[in-house]
Amino acid sequence: MSSEEASGSSGTGDAVPILEARNIVKTYGGVTALHGVTLRLTAGHVHALAGENGCGKSTLIKIISGAERPDSGEIVINGVSHAHMTPKGAIQQGIQVIYQDFSLFPGLTVAENIVLTSAVAEKRTLYSRRQSRPAAQQIVDDLGLSLDLDQEVERLSVADKQLTAICRALINDARVIIMDEPTTALTHSEVQRLFALVSTLRARGVALVFVSHKLEEALQVAQDVTILRNGELIISGPATDFDRRSISHYMTGRDVDESRLVNPPRYDRDPVLSVQDLTLPGAFENISFDLHAGEILGLTGLLGSGRSEIAEALFGVLRAESGRTIVDGKATTIHGIRDAIDAGIGYVPEDRLTQGLFLDKSIADNVIASSLERHRRRGLLDARTIAATITEQFQRLRIKAPNVEAPVRSLSGGNAQRVVLAKWLANGPKILMLNGPTVGVDVGSKEEILTILRAQAAAGMGIIVISDDVPELVSVCNRVLVVQQGRISATYSGDDITPEAIQEGMAA
Amino acid sequence: MTDQKTDESVTRSTVRESNRRVDSAVMGAISRFHLQHGVVRMLVLTLLAFAIFTAVKPRVFLNPLNLQNIAIAAPEIGLLALAIMLTMLTGGIDLSIVAIANLTAITISSLYTAIGATDAGLAESLAPVIVLVGLAVGAVGGYVNGLLVSRVGITPILATLGTMQIFNGIAITWTGGKTLYGAPAMLTTFGRTVIAGIPALFLVLVAAAIVLAVVINKTALGATIRLQGANPVAARFSGIRTDRTLTSTYVMSGLLAGLAGILFVSRNPTASADYGSSYVLLVIVIAVLGGTNPNGGFGTVLGVILATLTLQIVSSGFNIIRLSSYDYAIAQGAILIIIMVIDQVTSGRRRRTVPKISDALATPTES
Repeated sequence: MSSEEASGSSGTGDAVPILEARNIVKTYGGVTALHGVTLRLTAGHVHALAGENGCGKSTLIKIISGAERPDSGEIVINGVSHAHMTPKGAIQQGIQVIYQDFSLFPGLTVAENIVLTSAVAEKRTLYSRRQSRPAAQQIVDDLGLSLDLDQEVERLSVADKQLTAICRALINDARVIIMDEPTTALTHSEVQRLFALVSTLRARGVALVFVSHKLEEALQVAQDVTILRNGELIISGPATDFDRRSISHYMTGRDVDESRLVNPPRYDRDPVLSVQDLTLPGAFENISFDLHAGEILGLTGLLGSGRSEIAEALFGVLRAESGRTIVDGKATTIHGIRDAIDAGIGYVPEDRLTQGLFLDKSIADNVIASSLERHRRRGLLDARTIAATITEQFQRLRIKAPNVEAPVRSLSGGNAQRVVLAKWLANGPKILMLNGPTVGVDVGSKEEILTILRAQAAAGMGIIVISDDVPELVSVCNRVLVVQQGRISATYSGDDITPEAIQEGMAA
Repeated sequence: MTDQKTDESVTRSTVRESNRRVDSAVMGAISRFHLQHGVVRMLVLTLLAFAIFTAVKPRVFLNPLNLQNIAIAAPEIGLLALAIMLTMLTGGIDLSIVAIANLTAITISSLYTAIGATDAGLAESLAPVIVLVGLAVGAVGGYVNGLLVSRVGITPILATLGTMQIFNGIAITWTGGKTLYGAPAMLTTFGRTVIAGIPALFLVLVAAAIVLAVVINKTALGATIRLQGANPVAARFSGIRTDRTLTSTYVMSGLLAGLAGILFVSRNPTASADYGSSYVLLVIVIAVLGGTNPNGGFGTVLGVILATLTLQIVSSGFNIIRLSSYDYAIAQGAILIIIMVIDQVTSGRRRRTVPKISDALATPTES
């Protein structure tokens, strides 16, 4: 009911900025993170804020939300100028940031999560479960969502957690909602659901900021686009002026090649990996495919389709119940990760921060973590060959870091992913599986990572890319398998690999 | 004309190249200094403690006998601190080390007296075997801890708290709570030996420290121990055999504790279940003071050795200026907390600045 009222009261066409960050300058030490950047947010508009990692996006958000103070510039909210914001002041002004981890309390219910922060903000001493529920219910109904208010948040899907965070923002009377990479962890249909909610929010007169790497999604939903590079405002304008290609051009300062480029695999030889009727009830069933040397095989499907579980079973994280795995013509039993590695399989996991990297360790320590056995000589580690391996990988993958002793924590997403790749390449695997190889990686690094994969395939490695990034699959894969509810539902090869076909296969 | 131009650009690019190289060398030195931070800090602290007590009571403190006393008391504590540091490297802890050390000491003493009761000469000639049996007791104790932590999956602090009670209980029932007297002459002679002014016991600590440093820094096992502590999940996904690494760690910890037990009986030909009951907390303080990260992944042998010496110097200094052991306990706690506060302050600042420096270096190459 009240949502209709809200939509009536605020039009989407008027271009009066609800918030304007003007000429923001921010330096850290001697480094300028933002050189006079301006961002204008309009009520009822979605503003896509794009840029490669380290371009200053997060600094700008921190300044708007009051987490950092600008060196100069002003933040104008409804005509009132502020030299800087404070976290509390920002919330009072209706500015809400939804970070990637959503900052929810996992042990509390959805209703409690929605209501609690506003109760704290109002300095209420006692918390009443009875009073809180109707307020939460109201928001959920207003937005037309189906959220179970009594469910504990830790049991929710990523998408529902995000919805909870959005509801929490709205109960605090948010007029500006900034969302950091809102679609990364969502499936295609969940993204569509989010976008439907976004139009409801727009109708309520909320200004939204999408910080995103996924260009076509940003274009699908945004009215305004602002692009930053190296702390400078490159361009800002209506979304209709941009397309995928021009955005990536502005982001990287060069043309990014996303065209399809594949080398012919060695189909004449026996497959390097042959999977036959691999089954793990509840996860996947009767999975059979061959992987040839020099081939890049795409494994795609929605989140929860079983695509990740198949990879994890081949790497020994999960144990398949039946089926055969033949590596290089030899039947191989993979009961643990070590079995997989000994058979010549490497795996770049989806969650690279916890599963792939030792964040506080140096790049050097990370690179040799999987190949320690290879670098032994008379019981001791051979410092010379280790140094050679590290330098070789560091240079081959062009990891941008001051030196190999730098902790991985200090690297950007793209460089961190290269370190995980380096770790496996140092072990010389015959088969390399990569789960979401370019998630959270900026456009320029993404292209370079794909180039590295092509080079490895050309050198004879068999590569499996597990991904739901369709343009990426089209760009590198010789064949693409679509997984649906644990079964391979479609296979595409050669000229049949088009974005439309794969998208259709996933959604079918 | 054109030649000159290319010359110029060549020079410019070589200058840029050499600048880059200097940059990366400096950054390397800085980050290495951060890694060695704990060691440098400990060295300063050791020298400071030494200087203070030298200034206060130079005659008594610098007396060779006093210095030798420090060098005789430090090794057993140092070995136990190394043991706990090793387990902390994997992100665990071993609370049972003192109980294991006592069990080793009791084994050696009672085996020696039992054999000696029938044939004193035989007991003496079997001394090396008896010592090895004592060490084996340490290894077995450590293996039990290792199984509980790695195979059963019990949190190290709880697993070793349990085994500490068990080992201690075994020691008490075995000895009836009494102090056992008697140790092979081989050990007691060794305990009194001084080589070039340095007590042999201290050389045992130095040797053990060198071996442990080689294991931690130069072997695949050492690397896996450090990686395991830094991120157990990533260690598993990197193909590191977690259970094997943990079991080896706790066996090594048990062996070091056993060696400490051998030093107990070498210093004093006695053994009892309640010897060194205050050591558990002391060695945790030493390990952390020496720069070991209790969350795992980081720690150095040298840092722990220096921390051992510092606390021994403070202990002996307090003795000389006639402060009680209670004052020493207060000093231990105060030193630990001051160091932790300094750590918090500096690491907070470092965390804020380090990524920015690398960003600054990364951006020019990016564009």
